[in-house]
Amino acid sequence: MEKYLNKGIKAVITEFPAIGAILDGYNIGCTLCGVGTCLLKDIVQVHNLSPEDEHSLMARISSVIYPDREVEMSFTPSVNAAPKPRSITYSPPMQGLVDEHTVIKRVLAMIPVIIETLDVSRYDDRRLVLDTVDFIRSYADKYHHAKEEEILFKEFDPNLEMVKVFNEDHMIGRGHVKAILEGLEKNDNQSVKEHLIGYRELLTGHIKREDEVLYPWMDRNLSITQVGSLSAMFTDVDRQFMDVREKQEAFVNRLEETNKFEEVR
Amino acid sequence: MAFEGCPGSKMAYFEDKEVQDDAPEAKVKSRLRQWPVQLHLVSPMAPYFQGADVLLSADCVAYALGNFHGDYLKGKALAIACPKLDAEQDIYVEKIKGLIEDAKINTLTIMIMQVPCCSGLLRLAETAAQSAGRKVPIKYIVVGVQGEILQEAWV
Repeated sequence: MEKYLNKGIKAVITEFPAIGAILDGYNIGCTLCGVGTCLLKDIVQVHNLSPEDEHSLMARISSVIYPDREVEMSFTPSVNAAPKPRSITYSPPMQGLVDEHTVIKRVLAMIPVIIETLDVSRYDDRRLVLDTVDFIRSYADKYHHAKEEEILFKEFDPNLEMVKVFNEDHMIGRGHVKAILEGLEKNDNQSVKEHLIGYRELLTGHIKREDEVLYPWMDRNLSITQVGSLSAMFTDVDRQFMDVREKQEAFVNRLEETNKFEEVR
Repeated sequence: MAFEGCPGSKMAYFEDKEVQDDAPEAKVKSRLRQWPVQLHLVSPMAPYFQGADVLLSADCVAYALGNFHGDYLKGKALAIACPKLDAEQDIYVEKIKGLIEDAKINTLTIMIMQVPCCSGLLRLAETAAQSAGRKVPIKYIVVGVQGEILQEAWV
């Protein structure tokens, strides 16, 4: 069993597809993750299941891996396991990141509307794509993701698979943005649409996993001194990016207004 | 145990409280790093408040909570107050504001008892924080009269 606990979840699910369905049953959405290098043992611990749920989940997983024999459970329940709250509450710096996600999700919600009639040979459509890319680059990436990569993630072990996975999502997102701009340059309408949708799908899952799993787990493992120092550093970044925030939040409002779209919050 | 009337001042006797007789009477090391501690007596300019994680505790908390020093006071600068009995609480608001603005504290943790009047200390801190020119994370912890942690949340 030890071998599988220390194995990446994608490899485990590939070998034993039934485990993906079991994880789904506990609201652990690894089957949707494009990277899947988190270790099985980390995934179980990070989701803050009750000790009973952790035990039953591990029992079901081991019965899939070893259907013919009873497995001695050497798995150690999470040290910081806490009773599952009815709703997630975040420390102030983490709440700031969640609030930024709300702004990003409003743009993600607009992407299907943007591509519906997109024709990159038209000036206005090109302008709209360029403005959307500007939002992604300046707000979602340079402002929000940089807070994570340069500040928050540095509070944790850089070798932690889970942190690597979220960093990798950022890289994949940057790849989509690059491809959108290349598509514009080549007047390739289809490619621009595909990468806008690819970015939307990537970030939708990424944000959900951060809001529901990563940030609560990080909050449980940060000391109060770390929370205070993160808050101070985030405040500095907020100050530096005040113009960017104002400009991009105005863009989101305009985008929704232009398309008569109800805000998704 | 039964409460009658105002829970802040009515008598309660925990006669059935279980104490493990064979628990070692270990000497608990004091984690207090400063003097004075009463909020009227401390100055936000004191060196131990500068950039510190500050614990603002209602007077009764340390008596109710068996592991106050090790689990909550350790590593923090302290101020204590009673929102029910202390006078001139407008000075408290200014002091807390001074801790946030002048001492540039890192965080503020408010520990109060479960009795309703104790929440006044949290309100004082919130008033001070709202009028301060900088923001700090504020956490509050509510302690039961028998030393149990009832609630822990960010403001």
